[in-house]
Amino acid sequence: MTRSRSVAMKVLLATAALAAAAPAGAIPAFARKYGTSCLTCHTVYPKLTPFGEAFRRNGYRFPGVDSDYVKQETVPLGQEQNKKTFPDSVWPASLPVSVPIAIGANGTMRVYPDKTASVPRGNNGTQFALDDFVGEAHLWAGAALDDTITLWAELTIADGGAEVEHAQVLFNDLVGPKHAVNLVVGKGFPIITSFGAHSSYIADQGIASAPVSAMLLGSGDPFVLVDNVTGAEVSGVIAGRIDYNVGLTAGKNTSTFGGFNSENWYAHAGFKVGGMRLDGEGSTGAEDSLHPWAETALTVDGFYYHSNEHLDDPISGGPLADVSSTVGGQLRGQLGSLELDVGYYSQQHDRGWVNAAALAKVTAGVFYGELSYVLFPWMVPSIRVENISLDPSGGARVSDLHVMPGIAFLIRPNLKFVVAGNIESTNGFPLDTGGNPTAWQGGAADWGAFVASPSPNYTATTKKQEFESLSFFLAWAM
Amino acid sequence: MSRISPPHASRLLAAALSLAAASLARAEGGTISGKVDVQPAKYLEETIVYVKAVPGTYTPKTHDMDQQGMKFVPHLLVVTQGDTVKFLNHDNVVHNVYSPDNEGYNLGSFKQNEDRSYTFKKAGVYSQLCSVHPEMLGYIFVGQNPYAAAVDKKGGYVIKNVPPGSYQVAVWNSKLKGPEKPVTVTAGKTVEENLTVKR
Repeated sequence: MTRSRSVAMKVLLATAALAAAAPAGAIPAFARKYGTSCLTCHTVYPKLTPFGEAFRRNGYRFPGVDSDYVKQETVPLGQEQNKKTFPDSVWPASLPVSVPIAIGANGTMRVYPDKTASVPRGNNGTQFALDDFVGEAHLWAGAALDDTITLWAELTIADGGAEVEHAQVLFNDLVGPKHAVNLVVGKGFPIITSFGAHSSYIADQGIASAPVSAMLLGSGDPFVLVDNVTGAEVSGVIAGRIDYNVGLTAGKNTSTFGGFNSENWYAHAGFKVGGMRLDGEGSTGAEDSLHPWAETALTVDGFYYHSNEHLDDPISGGPLADVSSTVGGQLRGQLGSLELDVGYYSQQHDRGWVNAAALAKVTAGVFYGELSYVLFPWMVPSIRVENISLDPSGGARVSDLHVMPGIAFLIRPNLKFVVAGNIESTNGFPLDTGGNPTAWQGGAADWGAFVASPSPNYTATTKKQEFESLSFFLAWAM
Repeated sequence: MSRISPPHASRLLAAALSLAAASLARAEGGTISGKVDVQPAKYLEETIVYVKAVPGTYTPKTHDMDQQGMKFVPHLLVVTQGDTVKFLNHDNVVHNVYSPDNEGYNLGSFKQNEDRSYTFKKAGVYSQLCSVHPEMLGYIFVGQNPYAAAVDKKGGYVIKNVPPGSYQVAVWNSKLKGPEKPVTVTAGKTVEENLTVKR
């Protein structure tokens, strides 16, 4: 196998790995529970409406008293009155009569219009890739044990096997005013903005990821900001306009030496002006009842994320700890059906790359932005921009820009189709542990992934522009 | 044979006349009817409309609340202060009856075809629980007077034979709250009163 084909294969594998790790959304189990349409919470799913975001923040509960809105029959595992006899009784709960699960599948077909672009070049000139048109199957579960404790789980099955991406117990309204203090334990996304992880019409995730240790140190499971990790998170909404999240997670421990525990932690605070309250309480409805997604609002977020990632040292072969600190912020501005999301974060790794046979610092800067307009409830044109830059200590600063125009279609409330272009402009390439240009990775994953495999004659400063791909994404859930 | 002395006879006559008058008044009472709008409607089943503070004494009665198919039957029972409820068990599993409400009581465990009784001396709502089967729930509404009715499946209610007079009509719901409303009852007539209960 030539070096270029080898690199291309690695790139494709990395793409597949990122795609497999990219979670989907939408929980028809909730639609059944409340007897309501997907459109109560979503526009083109998994993108959430302001009400859907409030439902998510509230621990998958309606504003007010959640059980008032439940239409699905439940089996009481005890009665409310048993609370009066506690501790001589078990605290009551209930089960939905039917198992609260939902199923779905999604995948992407890619077309590479430019035969000389990096991916088709590394793949025998293949211009149509249908291998992942059914890329993932999902099994979701979402239920409430009572008006305060809820459950949420997601099992994803892909070529790489099955993975429990989410399995969380949410203890809501623990102390103080309603929505002020909640606790989530289990496996899921760390929440570092005021919005759900899938806040994008074009990409799988709102926040663009930068898997620095994958690009520069060869980690097979790198630390990124939005990933499925086990941990505990305290969150809440204060006075309807301020939200926060503070969490501790197991982080990434891919070292083969074992015995290392990460202590990743993060904190986020957000503030919303205008529109529906962050907890959805007291809402009088949308400004225009025909456009329930639309509002005039501005939400400002800031976050900090500290990671201690363990992997194998590419130099010594021993265990390596790479500590990174990330500082970032995000803005969401909404003007009726027009929405603009922009975010930026700076992530510094103390031992993030190899320079002259020694581990050295590297700083990643990531910008992402998406402008969307809900033209019709079933059609949302958007344009997304992502830029990742790497500034290694003692090395050349490199960057990669992606522009992704696209349109998301809702064929039915639970069947969607997205077409998205992927135009890439690289300004240099990251250097792997051997000092060779390596593929860009990251972005918001799935059909919008950053992947540009360098040709053997590229250098660390080679500039390259290409029409990467045209992707067709299909998903359904029921 | 003993003879009744004249003073005793007059007292008996007076008592008989009083009883007859009371019976006549009740027989010539009025009716209160209407509809309860329950928001959300899913809680309609556990709704009772009752008349507050109707003067009088009421002959104690005995009612049955069964346990059948792991359920309290009826789910909602309306009785009057002083009445006795006989709890039956027609399941072939052991049941218990207890209530944590008001003075509280625990009638112990009893097997099929056994029963336990409890006399309600205090007005109020008593949830009926079974410690053996925590999912079981029933309610006994103990009124100060017998002028109370559970709503039907459409939210309608009818309270008959209410003595003429002015009262407050109120509504109880297991999860929601409703207002009290003044009502004037006229003998032989029906007065309509619609109510709304919500959070």
